Amino acid sequence: MTGIDGCLAEAMTIPGARGASLVDWTSGLALGEAGEGPGRDHESAAADTAELARLAFENSAFTGATARTGPVEDLIVTARGSYHLVRFVETDFDSSVFLYLWLDRAEANLAVALFRLKGLTERLVLA
Amino acid sequence: MTAPGPAGPISPAASPAAPAETAGRTLDRLASERATGALHGCAGALYLADGAVVHAESPAVPDLGRRLTARGRLSPQAWEEAVAEGGPGYRAGSLLVERGRLSRGELELCHLSALFDAAYFVLSPLDPAQRAPDRFLGEARHWLGPIRPVPVPLLRREVVRRRRLLERAWPRPEVDAAPVVRTCGGERAGPAGAGGRRAVLAAADGVRTPVQIARALGRSAFATLFDVRRLAAAGLVRTPCADAPAAPGPPPPAALELSLLYRIRDALEAL
Repeated sequence: MTGIDGCLAEAMTIPGARGASLVDWTSGLALGEAGEGPGRDHESAAADTAELARLAFENSAFTGATARTGPVEDLIVTARGSYHLVRFVETDFDSSVFLYLWLDRAEANLAVALFRLKGLTERLVLA
Repeated sequence: MTAPGPAGPISPAASPAAPAETAGRTLDRLASERATGALHGCAGALYLADGAVVHAESPAVPDLGRRLTARGRLSPQAWEEAVAEGGPGYRAGSLLVERGRLSRGELELCHLSALFDAAYFVLSPLDPAQRAPDRFLGEARHWLGPIRPVPVPLLRREVVRRRRLLERAWPRPEVDAAPVVRTCGGERAGPAGAGGRRAVLAAADGVRTPVQIARALGRSAFATLFDVRRLAAAGLVRTPCADAPAAPGPPPPAALELSLLYRIRDALEAL
């Protein structure tokens, strides 16, 4: 993997992938993108997805729900015809980034996609 | 550490009224000319290579080194070593990756965060009276070296988006530059909120301004400002002199209802 572009290129090899992007959820800025964006526009999709991500990430109802507290890891949105997956990237410095993946529901396997996303975000920040 | 080059004001009639607009037009022109060099102003500098933005720095914003060392991702020694050895060849950034100190992804993510953060304050200074960046030092390069160039139109759209986010969160900019302090509600809020916002709330001690809080936490200054505005909207922080009247002049018609609500809230809090 070579940085953001390598991570996104690998994300696009996940079965059913239509588009992928790395997004800063504080503002909704797409730091990199590959494939198609929903509505053919990565930038506005990134801003919309970031609103959802911020709400989930900052809500203590999700993070403190069990004895094992910790940050939100994934968001899964299922819609007719597609899956939208968000995987938060954990870093050892201040950041607010997630990897977004848009999948064709007929071709995708949700469990496989989640497993692959987890590996991708871990290797992105592994020296 | 910049290479020598021609310097001088390039827009003689820079209007202090709209620094962002003036600087934006200058940037557009530099991008179309595929310029390489540094655009300097009072609030920091933007570095370009072939018309794309490769680095930005502002005294309001924690730099890459501060971000990487604040939580111990790099030791100060490892950072200083990369600067000392990679700096003269304009490649301190890639040296960190070659030596296995950081992954390419970490360097790109952390640097982009610092770049967009600094660019926001260069183009949208905390002190609106500050002049727009207007001195272009041709051929100047930054010692970090190019990491992931950002097209000028994308940078300009992002600055606009960030300004709108702040306005939407809390349309009163006086909390941006003044020390902020927890209100009674903020003291009681305890662990409410999550992650960065909680840390910002805890650091609001009535002495530090949002920018100083960002530096102490090694956190994005824009994200900190955004947190402070949202905490202010939720009534959890205020400026120590919140009783002082807001900016003089009549509020725009769209803000009338909102300003009435603020006055009612302030009055209730004063009871």
